[in-house]
Amino acid sequence: MAGSAGFQTITLAKGLNQGIRAAMEADPKVIVMGEDVGKLGGVFRITDGLQKDFGEQRVLDTPLGESGIIGTAVGLALRGYRPVCEIQFDGFVFPAFDQIVTQLARFHYRSQGKLRMPVVVRVPYGGGIGAVEHHSESPESYFAHTPGLKVVSCANAVDAYWMIQQAIACDDPVIFFEPKRRYWEKAALDLTATPPPLFSSRLVRSGTAATVVAYGPMVRTVLDAAAVAEQDGQQLEVIDLRTLSPLDLAPVFVSVRRTGRLICVSEAPGEASLIGDLAARVSQECFYSLEAPVLRVTGFDTPYPPAKCEEDYLPDLDRILDAVDRVLRY
Amino acid sequence: MPSRKRAPSRSAPAAEPVGDPTVGGPTVRPIVGTAMEIDGPHDPQQVIAGLRATSEGEDLVQLLTPEGQRVSHPRFDLEISAAQIQSLYRDMVLVRRADREANVLQRQGQLGLWAPLLGQEAAQIGAGRAMSPQDMAFPSYREHGVAWCRGVDPTELFGIFRGIDQGSWDPVRTGFQLYSIVVGSQGLHATGYAMGQRLDGKIGNGETSEATICFFGDGASSQGDVHEAFVWAAVYDAPVVFFCQNNQWAISASLDRQTRVPLYRRARGYGFPGIRVDGNDVLAVYAVTRWALRECRSGNGPVLIEACTYRMDAHTTSDDPTRYRLADELEEWKLKDPLERVRVHLVREGLAEPEFFNGVADAADELARRLRDYCTSMPVPGPERIFSKIYAEPSPSLQAARADYLAYHASFAEGDH
Amino acid sequence: MTRIFALPDVGEGLTEAEIVRWHVAPGDTVTLNQIIVEIETAKAAVELPSPYAGVVSELLAEPGGTVAVGSPLIAIDTGESAVEPAAAGVIGEEGPGGRITTLVGYGPRTTTVARRPRKPVVTDPAADDRESVPLAKPPVRKLAKELGIDLSTVLGSGTGGVITREDVRRAAAAPTGNGAGFSAGAVPGTGQRREPVRGVRKATAAAVVSSAFTAPHVTMFLTVDVTPMMQLRVRLANQAEFRGVKLTPLTFAARAACLAIRRTPEVNASWQEETGEIVYFDYVHLGIAAATPRGLVVPKIHHADRMPLRELAVALDELATTARDGHTAPADMLGGTITITNIGVFGIDTGTPILNPGESAILALGAIRERPWVVDGALVPRQICQLALSVDHRVVDGAQGSRFLTDIGALLSDPALALTF
Repeated sequence: MAGSAGFQTITLAKGLNQGIRAAMEADPKVIVMGEDVGKLGGVFRITDGLQKDFGEQRVLDTPLGESGIIGTAVGLALRGYRPVCEIQFDGFVFPAFDQIVTQLARFHYRSQGKLRMPVVVRVPYGGGIGAVEHHSESPESYFAHTPGLKVVSCANAVDAYWMIQQAIACDDPVIFFEPKRRYWEKAALDLTATPPPLFSSRLVRSGTAATVVAYGPMVRTVLDAAAVAEQDGQQLEVIDLRTLSPLDLAPVFVSVRRTGRLICVSEAPGEASLIGDLAARVSQECFYSLEAPVLRVTGFDTPYPPAKCEEDYLPDLDRILDAVDRVLRY
Repeated sequence: MPSRKRAPSRSAPAAEPVGDPTVGGPTVRPIVGTAMEIDGPHDPQQVIAGLRATSEGEDLVQLLTPEGQRVSHPRFDLEISAAQIQSLYRDMVLVRRADREANVLQRQGQLGLWAPLLGQEAAQIGAGRAMSPQDMAFPSYREHGVAWCRGVDPTELFGIFRGIDQGSWDPVRTGFQLYSIVVGSQGLHATGYAMGQRLDGKIGNGETSEATICFFGDGASSQGDVHEAFVWAAVYDAPVVFFCQNNQWAISASLDRQTRVPLYRRARGYGFPGIRVDGNDVLAVYAVTRWALRECRSGNGPVLIEACTYRMDAHTTSDDPTRYRLADELEEWKLKDPLERVRVHLVREGLAEPEFFNGVADAADELARRLRDYCTSMPVPGPERIFSKIYAEPSPSLQAARADYLAYHASFAEGDH
Repeated sequence: MTRIFALPDVGEGLTEAEIVRWHVAPGDTVTLNQIIVEIETAKAAVELPSPYAGVVSELLAEPGGTVAVGSPLIAIDTGESAVEPAAAGVIGEEGPGGRITTLVGYGPRTTTVARRPRKPVVTDPAADDRESVPLAKPPVRKLAKELGIDLSTVLGSGTGGVITREDVRRAAAAPTGNGAGFSAGAVPGTGQRREPVRGVRKATAAAVVSSAFTAPHVTMFLTVDVTPMMQLRVRLANQAEFRGVKLTPLTFAARAACLAIRRTPEVNASWQEETGEIVYFDYVHLGIAAATPRGLVVPKIHHADRMPLRELAVALDELATTARDGHTAPADMLGGTITITNIGVFGIDTGTPILNPGESAILALGAIRERPWVVDGALVPRQICQLALSVDHRVVDGAQGSRFLTDIGALLSDPALALTF
C-alpha cells in the first residue's frame, strides 16, 4: 500500500518479505531455503511469492530436517552462496544446534579467515500467540553465548525491512530472530531513509525517570507501559537493543548515566540469560551513576506453559511498571 | 518383497553385498533388491511417478479394494468376522466424526489448533486394533485414531489443542505415550523403550510378549533422529514397529521432497524388513501390523511399515492446502476413501443391517455433542500451573519464585485478566 | 437471546481477516456448524461455521471489509432465554473484565493499555529488598571521592541515615579540613540554631559519657601554697638553659605528677574489664587536656617520666601549639596513662574532672591567685593553687589517691623536695 510521500505502511512480515526480495535482486548468490518456504511461501508467508519470481534454484523447499538445512547451508556457503535459512519455529531449532554451534560459528576461526559463513538463519520466536508446545520459545541466549555467531532481533516492520538485508549482506553468520507475535503489526516504511548499522541499539523513547532496555517482542510491550507511566507523570526512556551479540551498550551507558536507573526486559527465562550479562556489564560500567540496583523483568524459570497460562508467564505492562515503581523507590 | 526369518539374536549383518552404484563404476554392481533394479532406470521423473503411484503395485498389501471388494494376499490373508469388520467400521466412523467436530470447534474459537486425521482413519484404527494391551505406542501429534483404540477419549486430547495442558492422559495405563510435537523425536524414544522390553526379557514368550509401535509421517522420515532410531533399532534388534503413515504431504512438501525411494525400502538399508500396505484399507493395515508386532514379539524386530494414505484435510487448521496441491489429487483420493469401501463391503455382502448403520450414525452424533459440550466448558488452569511439577525433586529457588509469583498474582483486585 | 460471534484466530497469530462473502442474510435460519461466511486471512481462505443455531438478526461486518480478530461478525438470535454467563464469559462477547472474552483461538493478544487495579494492602517491596542501609549510593560515593571527603566522618541526613549529596557538599565546604564540618544551621524565625554533632565533638562526648558512667569517680581536693614554685619559675627563666623555653605552672605540675607516680604507681594504671585485670604501666604517657577550636582534645606526651623539666617544658609547649592548630599526629592521641587538665587558664579555682577512658587518675590544676595564707602564724598574701584529683576507685583507693595528691602538693609548695623522690 502506498502512503504519503514515499512512505509505505507495511506489516513486519511484509517488511521481511520485501527485504529478502531486495537482497535477492541485488545478489544472485542469495538463496532461500527451508521447510515450506517455496511453494507455500512459508507458514507465516514471509517468503511469499519469492519462488514464483526467482525460481526453484534460488528458493528451495527442503526435506524435513533442521540439521540438514543448516548443514547443507554451510556447504553451500563454502561454495560461494549466501544462504538465508528458515527454521520454521523457535522450538525446532534444536536439531540444528550442533551444526550452528560447532560448524557455522567456527569455520571462519578454524580457517583463520580463509573460509567464510555468510549465512542467515531466520527464526520466528517468542510467545503470545496461543500456540501448542515448542512454538513459543525464546532461545536467543544459547546463540548469544556462542562466539562466532552474530545474533539480532528486529522489533518493528521498518527494522525488519532493513535489518534482514543487512544481515544477508553481512559476511558473518547471523541468527536473525523474528518476533512472531508482532508479524502483523504495521509501521510506515520510508524506502529513501538511510538505516542505522545492523549491530547498533537504538533509543526509541526519551525519558528521565528510568531506562528500560528490551528487544524483539517486548519492545512494543515496554512502549505501551511507558505510555501508561507517562499518565502517572513518569517519563521512561526506552532502548531497543536490536543486536544481542555483539551488544551495543554505548547508548545504554549514556542513558543510565543520565537516569541512574535501569530495567532490562525479555521474555526468555531469566536464569543464565543474556539479560543477566547485560545487567552485569551496565552495573560495572555505570556503577557510580546507579541510584538503584539494575532490575530484570523476564519469563520465569519454567518451561513455556500451555497457551492458556501464557498471559501469566509473559512479562506484561503490570510487571514492567511494578519494576519501575521498585527502582524509583531507592 | 523378501521376507526373512531371523533368529532372535544375530551377530553378522546381511550377507548380500549392497554396493553403492554411483561410486567405483560398473564393477561394483548390486545384485538384488535395490530400488534402481526394481523400479527401472534412475530417471527422477519416473522415480517420482513411482512414488506417487502408491495405491498400486504388487508390493502394496491390500485386502479390500476401494470398491469394497475382498481380495486375497499370499501372505496376509485375514480371517475376520462380520462383527469384527463392523467394529472396525464403527471405530473409523466415530473417529472421523470426532475429528470433524474438533475441526469445527477450532473454527469457532474453542480450540486454538487442530491436527486433522481426515483420510487416515483406516491406517490408525487398523494399527491401533492390532496392538495388544501390553504394547506401547509412540504417536506424533495426529494419531487420534490410535488414541481411540488405546482407550484415550477424544476429550483427553483437547487439552493440548485448547492450550490447557501438554497431554493429560496416563501413558503407562493406556500404553499410548503423549503427543510429540517435535517432528520425529519419538523414533528414538520408541526404540529405547523397545530396547527396554528386550532387556526385561519381555519378548520371545508368544502372545503375551511385548512390542512397541512408533507412528510418524513421511516428512518425519527425513529427520536425523529417525535415521538414528533405525540404526539403534537394527543394531539392538529392538522389538519396535516403525509405522510410517505416508499421507503424501508434509505441510506443503510432497513426498518427492523427502525421498528418492519408496519409504518402506529404507528399512533394507538399515538391515530390517520394510513392507508397504494400502493405508486406506483397514483390513490390510490390521493384518500387516498384527504380523509386524508378532515379529517383534518373537524377537525378529524391528519392522518398518509404510501405510500409504492421504491427508485429506490441511496439515493443521492454520494451513491452506489449496496453495500447494491440486484439487484433482484430492478428488482422486476421495475415490479411495477408507470408510466408504468398508461400508460398501458390509452392505454388499450383507454383513450389516440398516440398524447397525443407524446405530453408528447416532453414536457419532452423540459423540459430537458430548465433545462439544465438554470442549466449550473446559476450565481454565490456575496461575500455579506455570510452576507445576517441573522437577521430580523440588528446587528451593523455584519454590521461592513460585511463592513470589502467587503473591504477586493475588495482589490484583480482580481475579481474572 | 442474541448471541454475538466474533472473529476467531484461525491461524497461528493472525490479527485480522477480510470478509469475502456472506452465506447468510438477516432473517435466515442457521443450524449449528452451518457455514455462514467466507473470510480471507494472510495465510488462507477459510469458511467459518456458526457456533449457534437460530435466526440471523444482524450481519456486523461488510464484505470486502477487514475485521480485527475478536471483532463481532454476526448476531444470531438463538431463541434461548437469557442465561447468566459463566464466570469466564461467553465466547466473543464482553466478559466481566470489560474486554471481549478470548480463548486460545484468538491469536496474539493486544498488550493491556492500563495497569490492573491492585488490592488495597500492598507491602513495600523496597523495604524487603534492603537488609542494611548503605553508607551512600554510588553517585554520592563518587562525589565524595572527587571532593576528598572521607564518608566515615560524614553523618547522613537521608532516610535511614544515608549520606546524601548535600551532606557531602556541606562537609567539603566546612572551614576545617578534617571532615568534621559544622552546618550553618540557623533556622530563621525560630530563634534556634541547630548544630549537628559530629567529628571531634561527637567523639569527645562519647568518651566522656563512657568514662563517667563506667568508672566510679572519687575526687579529692588540696589547696597548696605554690609561691616557692612560682619563685623557682622566675629564677629558672633567667638561666641560660631555660632561655626561650616557656615555663608555666603546668610544666611544674606535670613534672611533679611524674615524680609522684613513683610513690603511687596505682594512679598510672588501667582497669581492663574484658580481661579482668588492672594493667600497671612502667612508663608515663601524660595526657594534657587542650581546648581547641574543634573542641577538647587530649594529646599525649609519651614517656613524660623520662623527661627532665626543660624537655618536658618544650614538649608541653609544642603539644599545645600543635593541638590548637589541629595538627596533632594520630599516634600522639593514643596510649595515655594519666591526664592533667589545666582549668586554671580559664580562671577556675577547681573542679571535678572526668577521667579519660582507660585511665585511673586525672589531675585538675586550678588558677593560681594571691590569697591570704598562714605562714609561721602570720596572715600573709601567698600564691595559692587548688588541685583536684579524680581517681577510678576500682583501681585507686582513698589512701593512694591522697598520697599522690599530697605528694604533688608538696613538690609544688617545696620544689626542693624533688630531691627526695
